[in-house]
Amino acid sequence: MAGIFIYSDKADITSEIIGFARLNGKLPVVLTLSEKDAQALRNAGADKIIVIKGQSEMIENYARAIAAVLKNEGAELFAVGATPRGRDLAARVAGYLDCAMVSDISSASYKDEQLICTRMLYGGAVQQTEKLSGLSVITVPAGKYEPVQGEASLQTLELQADTRVSVVETAPIVKEGVDLSKAEKVVCVGMALDKAEDLQIARDLANVIGAEVGCTRSIAEERHWLPAESYIGISGAVVKPKLYISMGVSGQIQHVYGIRDAGLIVAIDTNEKAPIFKAADYGIVGDLYQVVPMLTEALKK
Amino acid sequence: MSQVIACYKWVADEADIRINADLSVDLSKAKGKISDYDKNVIEAAVQAAAALGGKAVGVTFGTADAKPSLKDALSRGLDEACYINAQEASQADGAATARALAAAIKKIADVGLIICAEGASDTYSRQTAPRIGALLDLPVVTSVSKMDINGNILTAARKLDDCMQTVKVELPAVVAVLPEINPAPIPGLKAVLAAGKKTVTELKAADLGADLTPRSTVSEVKGYVMNRKNIIFNEGDLAEQVKALAAALRKEGVL
Repeated sequence: MAGIFIYSDKADITSEIIGFARLNGKLPVVLTLSEKDAQALRNAGADKIIVIKGQSEMIENYARAIAAVLKNEGAELFAVGATPRGRDLAARVAGYLDCAMVSDISSASYKDEQLICTRMLYGGAVQQTEKLSGLSVITVPAGKYEPVQGEASLQTLELQADTRVSVVETAPIVKEGVDLSKAEKVVCVGMALDKAEDLQIARDLANVIGAEVGCTRSIAEERHWLPAESYIGISGAVVKPKLYISMGVSGQIQHVYGIRDAGLIVAIDTNEKAPIFKAADYGIVGDLYQVVPMLTEALKK
Repeated sequence: MSQVIACYKWVADEADIRINADLSVDLSKAKGKISDYDKNVIEAAVQAAAALGGKAVGVTFGTADAKPSLKDALSRGLDEACYINAQEASQADGAATARALAAAIKKIADVGLIICAEGASDTYSRQTAPRIGALLDLPVVTSVSKMDINGNILTAARKLDDCMQTVKVELPAVVAVLPEINPAPIPGLKAVLAAGKKTVTELKAADLGADLTPRSTVSEVKGYVMNRKNIIFNEGDLAEQVKALAAALRKEGVL
């Protein structure tokens, strides 16, 4: 059957991609690796849910088999949730099909039987539009589409897994930091902070307004002042708080990529030419050591 | 002896990109650089080659502009480099890039491990490692934050959204590493001088016998402009500026 085949290891994204398919009048067919995931998605508006049975617990290991299914079923699109597992699976399936793939779409819409996708390049400085025709693959970040409702039929499918990579151990990630992607307010520190103890300046402001503290990549990866989960940017956390306040952040575009969807962006930095001011709604050109304590005081009242 | 391949990309430095008033993108002032995350790839390959007792070989697919990348890459500890010098690279998508790299890797004997970054700092598509794995039908491990090689077995820690997953695979294999895998040292003067003497194999598109046409069609490339207020509080002294900012935040209702 034609239609859009869908996989995500996150049920929320699966539901959203089903919504995308329905929005475009296409039949959504969901792949899952467990009966439990299938049951959870039973009423999410898919036409059909296929539970894959095979010899591996890793979805990525079914890439070749899934590529064959897509071909045999005449699928028009394989839409995969943009998570680490999903991106791996999607690109491997695209590799086996040697077909077009657009990663981490910003938008996707059909026009004259072509799928028109936009995505960001250069850390968000540039937007590229690509046209896909024929069986193609896309990865879709969370939060792009509205979920829908409707009951799906269930079926199971035996697939051959590639068992060359096997799981030795799975451990929950010990999150030292917080999940910034869900934070309502974020205070972000950058390289203008002189020493780790001075993080207290950021924490004081964060406490007063009820924000989480994040940082730029260098603060986490080079200086190790905050855990890796705390850094914001294209290769780190992508945040969408209603308020983001940066202090001593220059605003390299990899960082700005991570704050693009923030409601309101405030920048405090000594360098008036810093790119962060171009990305900001409000700014103060000044030393964070002076400005931030004053702001904390002002917001206490 | 087993060779380790480091795939790297020569990209325009995003800091030099200019967006014109009509939103067209001006790359003419942009200097080239090795994609940030590929510096970690090169270092990982150098370490893996030492563990396997083989050579670390850099492979890059670029236009004539990518030539300066070779000395830079070799100064980072690679033993040799293979440069696919083809104009097609300027139009390449994930499919064409993987086909070019896979075709070049096939020409290198006794490859035990192929290392890529998760993504390049220009496109950040995160397709190359999985696609090369599929094209060469090799096992693939992505999102690798740590890896150990013991004999012919590679054990890797994968950093996923919800867990750390340790996997093992028998070589040959393809891995995509995260930047946190190593610190990627800056090469010293001696290493830079030695780089000039290392072997570079240059391949042209015709040498590859691979189809280098992209599978997707790029219809538009334009600057992305965030619509922000861009209000700088610069009236009066700092205290007054802070007061104005606090008042603005209250008015916005974001507190």
